Amino acid sequence: MSPVLAGTLGLVILLVLLLIRVPVAFAMFAVGFSGIWLLNGLPAAMGLLSSETFALASNAELIVVPLFILMGNVASVTGMSRKLYDAAYACIGQIRGGLASATVIGCGGFAALSGSSVASALTMGRTALAEMDRFNYSPRLSTGVVAAGGTLGILIPPSTGFVIYAILTQQSIGRLFMAGVLPGILLLTLFILTVMLLCWIWPEMGPKGPATTMAEKGRAFVGAIPILSVVLVTIGGIYGGIFSPTEAAGVGAALVILIGALGRSLTLASFWQAARSSIVTTASVMLILIAAHLINPFIALSHLPAEVSGMLVTLDLGLYGTLLVILAIYLVLGCFLEGLAMLVLTLPIFMPVILQLGIDPIWFGVLVVLTLEMGLISPPVGINVFIVKSVARNVPLSEIFRGVTPFWFAMLLCLLIIIAVPQIALWLPGMM
Amino acid sequence: MEALTRWTDRLIGLSAFVGTAGLLFVVGVILVDVIGRNFGRPLYGAQDMVTMTMVLIVFGGMALCDRLDGHIVVDIFEGSFPEWLNRVIDIASALLGAVIFALIAWAIWNSAQLSQMLNLSTNLLRLPLAWFQYAVVAFSGVTVLALLMRAGLLLAGAPRKSAEGAL
Amino acid sequence: QELRYANWAAPMHTITASQIEPLAEALEEGTGGAVTLRAFHGGELGAGPADQYVRVVQGTAEMGWGLPGYTSSQFPKSMIVELPGALELDQPAHEAMWRAFEGELASEFPMTEVLALWGSEPNVLMMRDREIRAPEDLRGLKIRVSGAAAAEAIEALGATPVQLPITQVYNGLQTGLIDGLVSGASVMSDFKLDEVVGTMSLGANLGRLSFFTVMNKAAYDGLPDEAKAALDTEMRAELSRRAEEAWKATADAGIDAARASDRTTVIDLSEDEIAAFDAALAPVTDAYIADVGGEAALAAMRGQ
Ligand code: NA
Ligand code: NA
Repeated sequence: MSPVLAGTLGLVILLVLLLIRVPVAFAMFAVGFSGIWLLNGLPAAMGLLSSETFALASNAELIVVPLFILMGNVASVTGMSRKLYDAAYACIGQIRGGLASATVIGCGGFAALSGSSVASALTMGRTALAEMDRFNYSPRLSTGVVAAGGTLGILIPPSTGFVIYAILTQQSIGRLFMAGVLPGILLLTLFILTVMLLCWIWPEMGPKGPATTMAEKGRAFVGAIPILSVVLVTIGGIYGGIFSPTEAAGVGAALVILIGALGRSLTLASFWQAARSSIVTTASVMLILIAAHLINPFIALSHLPAEVSGMLVTLDLGLYGTLLVILAIYLVLGCFLEGLAMLVLTLPIFMPVILQLGIDPIWFGVLVVLTLEMGLISPPVGINVFIVKSVARNVPLSEIFRGVTPFWFAMLLCLLIIIAVPQIALWLPGMM
Repeated sequence: MEALTRWTDRLIGLSAFVGTAGLLFVVGVILVDVIGRNFGRPLYGAQDMVTMTMVLIVFGGMALCDRLDGHIVVDIFEGSFPEWLNRVIDIASALLGAVIFALIAWAIWNSAQLSQMLNLSTNLLRLPLAWFQYAVVAFSGVTVLALLMRAGLLLAGAPRKSAEGAL
Repeated sequence: QELRYANWAAPMHTITASQIEPLAEALEEGTGGAVTLRAFHGGELGAGPADQYVRVVQGTAEMGWGLPGYTSSQFPKSMIVELPGALELDQPAHEAMWRAFEGELASEFPMTEVLALWGSEPNVLMMRDREIRAPEDLRGLKIRVSGAAAAEAIEALGATPVQLPITQVYNGLQTGLIDGLVSGASVMSDFKLDEVVGTMSLGANLGRLSFFTVMNKAAYDGLPDEAKAALDTEMRAELSRRAEEAWKATADAGIDAARASDRTTVIDLSEDEIAAFDAALAPVTDAYIADVGGEAALAAMRGQ
């Protein structure tokens, strides 16, 4: 069997396993491991299984996963996130879907403190979903908003995606960060417009709340001060150089625990329960991330990306044609692969083509990161959708995928707008 | 069978306890390190402690995650499959999971022996890597038990989904 | 027969042109195409550089390159070459390591055949904005380091060592989480630090990094004689030299760009200023040598 055929077949089998409800991580492990075994022998498969598993489980940057889950869980059992949403509801609850829009803005804010989409979706999911449920928002809307909003983590700086892109293509990290700002705001705005449109068509998705007086708004706001101050300290600490974004997760968790303990809203039992449930969510998320790292080498060994891009070079499609085909490839690969590892495999192949066509690499970087974001929520392997599922146990995955679809189209629209008007990405870095 | 279930549950609880304690330990380490560093006294080897404890956090929760039915599935066609088919798929998935975790345990067992031979340890605190690799082997072993128990219970006709409230 | 070379870095990394390509050519020419080399870039055979040695021993790949510094516990004596003052700044590390290899270092590389050993450009001080001319200028500053020996050296200079993944160094310098880092100048271009490093201090002997390329022992033993001949001592010296020179060239380009840039001030320390650093660092190096019993290894590296 030729490697390319093996790779294609592997992806088809993965798809089938997923659709017949084999757990996502198990399906990816099975396909990745057997694929590497087939293409490169059993020692290579065993070696990768052991090294990737241990390397990911001891990855210094992924420690944010359990820490942010813990922070979200404690904020939830102490009622801090409830008070935050009470405040948001008092202020904008009268607007249809107001809480969902507020959640999008929350995701944008969280994205500004974390470089990772996984962390954004986990933390926002842990705090926001139950709260929107409390105000009778449909799970389809709330999970869709969190899964899509979480992807802002790699568009709004700081972003791990841009750092890796910059290192691989020798572009300026600073200019890429600047280039991500306006597209990030544009996408955030499109998400809010999507929420408003959905709630205009189906008002029951995000029902209107009662009008509130200024005094009620003020009282609700005062209640939210503890959690808001945690957020401010965390963001301030990162930008003030007191701690790294990774450490911010630990500091944030420690702060909510401290506030909960001092305010007597956190008992020893509820605290332990919150921590114990955090490691369960961590296990399900990390197992998927580990398994994704076995799929990537399998696809690389199958030469699938190299073959596809080799074909692309011979096609001679012109500037926009090539650009669109490359983005389409990222979109398709993004349906199966974890985004950042995919960059390492594909950028060295695509970059010469891009530079030869005279495409601005900063602009291309923004488009690629935006496309990766779409891959995070597109079926069958949508990492962010899985993450939201891990914190919203009672919502069927199909419902989350349905909920996220309108936002996927919003991202597509954003992508097309930035292709049509490159200045949205290039204006700010041009000012540097 | 009942005694087996009880002992498996105890092992699952024990590994979850280690993972949970590890998570709280990491919060403490980061806090002490951040405060100390800003007074010129960082915690020596903080990153070594965090990364190695993370191994315990990730794998400590693995068996409990399975016990609580916490592995994520694509449930799009669940409703359109007959009950018996869903049950067969669940049993097959649990057995597949058991094979995968057994493979992980075996692969990491081999690496742990190599780590001992090469004297591999963390860079600052010199914590032997093999300790943590053997921990993964043990936690994976408990997960294999949990998955086999799931398959056994399903074969014996237990309800397909564990109670959500258990979390 | 096809041999697999595991490269965790991107395909356009310095290692490809300076080592992987010449190695592939030598094998192909030596065996008339019977033995070929295929490189797996970008971590296709596993992502982490720390696992490279294990990867080769386990046979995931037949060959691979890595850094002793990532698993320094395995390489107590090889790591001596990285210490401040162990070698003169302009003394090539590859020659030093090969001189010490047979007698002192070989036992640290079990189950493999060592194909190349080389060093990086010398470490320099890269700071966010402070001008460093003496160890006192570092007092209380937070400096990113990569290993235990470097951490002790930084403490000996009065600064606070900070562990931070290299991909977070850019942000760390920008926000002031760290005041600077000790590393080779090639990170200026490799990790785009040229945008956030304000001053560099050159000339003090702060040590350097070292690297190895190894081949699975059983795979080597199974090679046909022509292939073994293509990987002879002379070839190993050549591969090592080329890699070290390529590393130095990248670093020199980084320093030249920094000198030309208005954003970065490059400080060339004077003899007296360098002596102050040497005096502060000598005890660290001496303590390490005594700790691992590395007197003979150091003497061999220095060619004494
Ligand atoms: Na971000
Ligand atoms: Na996807």
